[in-house]
Amino acid sequence: MFGYVRPAPARLSEEDKRRFGAAYCGLCRTLGERYGTAARFILNYDFAFLSILLWPEETPEIRRRGCIAHPLGGRDYFPGNQALELAADCSVILAWWQLQDALEDPGKGKTKYRAAAGVLNGAYRRARDCRPGFDRAAREQLKRLGELEAARCPTLDEPADTFARLLSGVAGEIKEPVRRRVLEQLLYHLGRWIYLIDAADDLKEDFASGSYNPLLGRFSLEKGELTGEARESLIISLDNSIRLCAAAYELWDFGLWSPVIRATVYEGLFLVGKAVLEGTFHAGSTEASRCRRNKELL
Amino acid sequence: MTDPYEVLNIPSSATDEEVKKAYRDLARKYHPDNYHDNPLADLAQEKMKEINAAYDTIQKQRGSRGGPGQGYARQSYGGYQYQSWAGAESSAFEQVRVAVNRNDLAMAEQLLAQIEDHNGEWNFLKGTICYRRGWVDEARRYYQTACQMDPGNLEYRQALNFVENGGASYRPEGYNVFSTGCTGGNLCLGTACTYFMCNLCGYCGMRFICC
Repeated sequence: MFGYVRPAPARLSEEDKRRFGAAYCGLCRTLGERYGTAARFILNYDFAFLSILLWPEETPEIRRRGCIAHPLGGRDYFPGNQALELAADCSVILAWWQLQDALEDPGKGKTKYRAAAGVLNGAYRRARDCRPGFDRAAREQLKRLGELEAARCPTLDEPADTFARLLSGVAGEIKEPVRRRVLEQLLYHLGRWIYLIDAADDLKEDFASGSYNPLLGRFSLEKGELTGEARESLIISLDNSIRLCAAAYELWDFGLWSPVIRATVYEGLFLVGKAVLEGTFHAGSTEASRCRRNKELL
Repeated sequence: MTDPYEVLNIPSSATDEEVKKAYRDLARKYHPDNYHDNPLADLAQEKMKEINAAYDTIQKQRGSRGGPGQGYARQSYGGYQYQSWAGAESSAFEQVRVAVNRNDLAMAEQLLAQIEDHNGEWNFLKGTICYRRGWVDEARRYYQTACQMDPGNLEYRQALNFVENGGASYRPEGYNVFSTGCTGGNLCLGTACTYFMCNLCGYCGMRFICC
């Protein structure tokens, strides 16, 4: 995933910011502990958010230590728990299959993808053994997506459905039936939103290069930009997915994470979506710069 | 039995006004409008029952009668009423509605595929199936076609309105962002209010909340 899921910082108390930052750093550490330092580069906000959705009832104490990106002063973090481990495993598996997909794409330069795949190879094998169900789902849905891309599918919902189902599949790890149902829905609509907002973010580039983008198939463009009507249709789709996330969120008590999730599904996603459509949202590339921005944002 | 104050998330020392406010906030959150054609509507309905029961208990304990609780208890969670249709296809459409109500979308879709007449009802039901799956873009297109084919049908119009304007969707206190296209300012407020007003005729239970 790509780092679009963020709470609206203005809605968070200092305590909430510290806690969310500690989950983010906790996920980074868990990635490092389970898969080695190199795996930390796949860290992003979307998976930190995933981990708080999956958070167990007991919350460990926040700890503080220096790390590779911040040797001085240290950072608050949560020590590994089942939610951080699940989010870490899933992020490795997804990153791996996305790399395989990029390697199969005939249009792109391969060297950096090959290098990344080489680094992730061992991590992927370990993650796959821990989460065979999610691995199967990721492979199947990304294969379906590849077929839809090859056929230049002219709709938004069908390609978005692949990623939505993939993410929704993570809820299968939850035992409690009501919580699982709520998370299946929440993650489905969140996955759909991530897929669509990523497509909007890549629109200009894909238009120029001729790569597949669901928005290009569904809408007519003027000078590489969505027409007013197309933009309105896209916004209606995005808004509904966000509202459906919020409706699902209200049906389970997410305990100490409620303020962070609320600030995300009632405001953060709208703000990120607006920034993407206006071309002012820039996802970063390195872990260090993400951490820096994390600090600035929060 | 669960403590009614705990259900409403207030201390037992809360004033009557605070009880009413807590009840209204929660009732707005779990209102059928927010769970229209939502596969989780049954969970919202459960929540609403708990809240209504808690509110009624507190009212009884405090010796007051009536109140807004009754306005909500009768709300429906997106379940369809049976409609009588003239013509050979009527029972086929009814079967689709029954399958949709059971949330058996694969069956509903299969039944719909067997109906040759792609009229307003067909497009509306197709839109509903899409919406329940979260396929909002397709849902909107089918609802639009249904409305064009049968402009006088309120149910179709309401479904399209719901997708396009978000209905009277709930926001927590202090949150006022309505849309990705408009994250603040009065313009979006205007649209939301227009829909609110239209909605009044359909959902009488909402009246005391807007006014």
